[in-house]
Amino acid sequence: MQNEPVSEFQAVTKEYGRGAARVRVLDEVSLAFPSGSWTAVMGPSGSGKSTLLHCAAGLEQPDSGRVRLAGRDVTGVPEGVLTAMRRRTVGFVFQNFNLIGSLTAEQNVALAARLAGAGVSRARVRAALADVGLADRLRHRPKELSGGQRQRVALARAMVVRPAVLFADEPTGALDSASARTVLDLMRAMVDGGQSVVMVTHDPGAAARADAVVFLRDGRIVDRLVRPTAHQVADRLVRLEG
Amino acid sequence: MLTLSLATVRDRWQLFIGAILTVTFGVALVQSALQTLMATGEPRVPPGVSGLRAEQIREGYAGAATLLGMTVLLACFLAVFIVASTFAFTVAQRRADLALLRTLGAGRGHLLLLLLCEGVLLGLLGSAAGVVVGLPATWVQSELLIGLGMLPESFSPAWSFSLLPISLCVGVGIAVFGVLGASVRAMRVRPLEALRDVGEAARVMTAGRWITGGTLLAGAVALVAAGRGADLLGAVMIGMAVSLLGAVALSRLSPLLVPLAGRLLGALLRASTLGDLAQANLRDGVRRSAATAAPLIVLVALTVGLTGTLDSVAKATGLDLRRITRGDLVVSSTGAQADRIAGVPGVAAASPQLQVEMSVRVAQRESRDDPVRHAVYHAGIVAVDAAAYRRTHALPERSGSLDRLRGATIALAPGMANEGVRTRAPVTARIGDRRLRLRVVASLPETLENGADRFLVPRDLIPADVAARAPAETVVQVAPGVPAAEVAGRIRAAGLGEVRTVAAWADGRVAAQQRGNDGIMTVLMGLSGLYAALAVVNAMLIAGAERKGEFAVARLTGLGRGQVVAAALIEAGAVTAIGLLLGGAVAAGALAPFLATPGVLALPWGLAAALAGGAFAVTAATSAAGTLAATREPPVRYAGSVPA
Repeated sequence: MQNEPVSEFQAVTKEYGRGAARVRVLDEVSLAFPSGSWTAVMGPSGSGKSTLLHCAAGLEQPDSGRVRLAGRDVTGVPEGVLTAMRRRTVGFVFQNFNLIGSLTAEQNVALAARLAGAGVSRARVRAALADVGLADRLRHRPKELSGGQRQRVALARAMVVRPAVLFADEPTGALDSASARTVLDLMRAMVDGGQSVVMVTHDPGAAARADAVVFLRDGRIVDRLVRPTAHQVADRLVRLEG
Repeated sequence: MLTLSLATVRDRWQLFIGAILTVTFGVALVQSALQTLMATGEPRVPPGVSGLRAEQIREGYAGAATLLGMTVLLACFLAVFIVASTFAFTVAQRRADLALLRTLGAGRGHLLLLLLCEGVLLGLLGSAAGVVVGLPATWVQSELLIGLGMLPESFSPAWSFSLLPISLCVGVGIAVFGVLGASVRAMRVRPLEALRDVGEAARVMTAGRWITGGTLLAGAVALVAAGRGADLLGAVMIGMAVSLLGAVALSRLSPLLVPLAGRLLGALLRASTLGDLAQANLRDGVRRSAATAAPLIVLVALTVGLTGTLDSVAKATGLDLRRITRGDLVVSSTGAQADRIAGVPGVAAASPQLQVEMSVRVAQRESRDDPVRHAVYHAGIVAVDAAAYRRTHALPERSGSLDRLRGATIALAPGMANEGVRTRAPVTARIGDRRLRLRVVASLPETLENGADRFLVPRDLIPADVAARAPAETVVQVAPGVPAAEVAGRIRAAGLGEVRTVAAWADGRVAAQQRGNDGIMTVLMGLSGLYAALAVVNAMLIAGAERKGEFAVARLTGLGRGQVVAAALIEAGAVTAIGLLLGGAVAAGALAPFLATPGVLALPWGLAAALAGGAFAVTAATSAAGTLAATREPPVRYAGSVPA
């Protein structure tokens, strides 16, 4: 089990639009995200990064091919099974933080914990917020927090149930560099603790914090780097876009 | 989920205030109607009043009870309808939030539970306010009913604590029924919609809207088609059905029809830059435009359609009365004065009709299978001279003959034509202390008049002193060649009563009988107008608050704040015009069958103009206030900002 990928694609194809406007966003992609590791997904705009993330997380179903998630084939499974997996197995972090505006930081984290079911205490919710450095911001609502603080609440929300894999879509895209560093440090701590991270990003600096980077263009995997530096990533990206 | 519901209602109260106010008004109306209704259950007839007065009081109470019953039904229907449309709109605005919950692992049941909890909460808040508002509403309502002459001056409804649980249930019921549809639809939100605006979020014209709107519209069109050549009763039925079906149909189809109509209006608006922007926004913001236009469609279709139907019936009744009455003048006076009218120079014939204070007891049965029951009547009993009556009324007997209306006899007048009176069974009458057994000798045909005379008795049956005191209406035929006005002048000069032309008398008589309808229409229009205004203001304010980014972009593009407000005003005006026109189309369809009977169609232009004026005033004021509020801060704060 230790070496089984946390997420795996087998010849996955996904298309959007109709008739002449039809676009193949993922083209026979086969790929494995190793367990307990951090993989960044990069590529030019429209290369299919976000669709790849959505399919991996079970938010979208491929047109053909198969997707496995945490050891289970999630292609065509009922919505109820995917809902249950989103509670315990999968976590999300988005560029726009996507917190519920009417709830406090503590309530946002507690809501995810409560949806996940029994065994998540109030103390653990507070501990999760303390872990991301927000012990003194429990009763603040999202609009009273800075962008970096909001993203840390979102991370605490994803961490509190200790999901097997965290899917992050441009998690540092709306943050200043200091906040971005804090968020990336927290994600590194999750991976060091045995969780997996799949992250879509445009930022070579963020990608360089990952264990591996895969590059997409026109819906296909075109390159891969292991233990990359920011320079290497930027270099590949320039070549891809050029 | 309750925590989240509470937090949502508290934090985003602007999205809920319209629904809460709707529930408040709904509960207040239902509570006050029920409180009044409880008091009308047992009519209090003061001791010592005449049988005729007692019957009038009882009929007044019955009329008030009917009106109140209709108010309760209408208030509940409209409240559920408006809560449903405002809540659907708020759910649409929060789609991303709901999708986010799905990404966190919330199941469909969780979303349903969350929204139903919100429904219960807004029901409780609305009920609490409604119970308080209901107290003065009761007073207003009973004053209105007293003003309409349905209830006596002494009427005062007492408060009962048994109303509290009812009000609470009504409020929560309205809210939960209202939110149910949108909540069930919201269950289908996909988690992915948290990340981008796709699929359902962009789709306003749902399959449900296609099915209900299309089916109801087809039904309404079929009825209008079937109404060509319909008789008056058919036209009334069709008019009412088409008003209701058409109103709901077009409001359901509004996301389709409003942008379509916007395209047509576009030709006019495109002449100016702001107009062009306004019509593009109108077509782009389908959900907003449809939510604003739909209540106006319902309001205009219902009130103009139904008022037109009732007015047309009144007009037809007036025409019918004029056709039946063969005379030039009608004189209102006492019996004693009426007897002298025939002697006035220039009068060719005079037929006094005396409203006699007496009672008539008959045996009736609705149909062959029903048991025979006995009923006593005090009102609508008229003493006539049969020969004069025949001469002045075009009412050929259905059976028997008025010639035999002499001595201990009675005839069934139009008001009893279809009441199943057993003509062979004995009829007993009481005049003062006298008891009489009467024989039915004739039966007259039904007329359109609502509340027409019920019985004719021969004049010689009535003691002279009773007849002399009785209020009388005398139909006068003027001798050939003599101007009617001259004869009218002579009757007035002789002090023989109030003289009117037959046309003026008929109109007055119809108007008096229409009073009950007018009361119903006042309540109907008042309620519909109130709810429509609430729904329109709510939709525009919610949409306006969400348009800060759009307005900011427009200003960064080079538009001044005043121009942004003007463009929004033009858009609001266009949407209002479209709503009014579509509602007007339904009303036109509803009234079309009346064209089959010449001269009957009555178009309520005054009402239509008042509705249009009111609608434009409300939408313009709301649009201006909303846009000004949404553009108060510098545009750079909103354009391109990232939501929390």
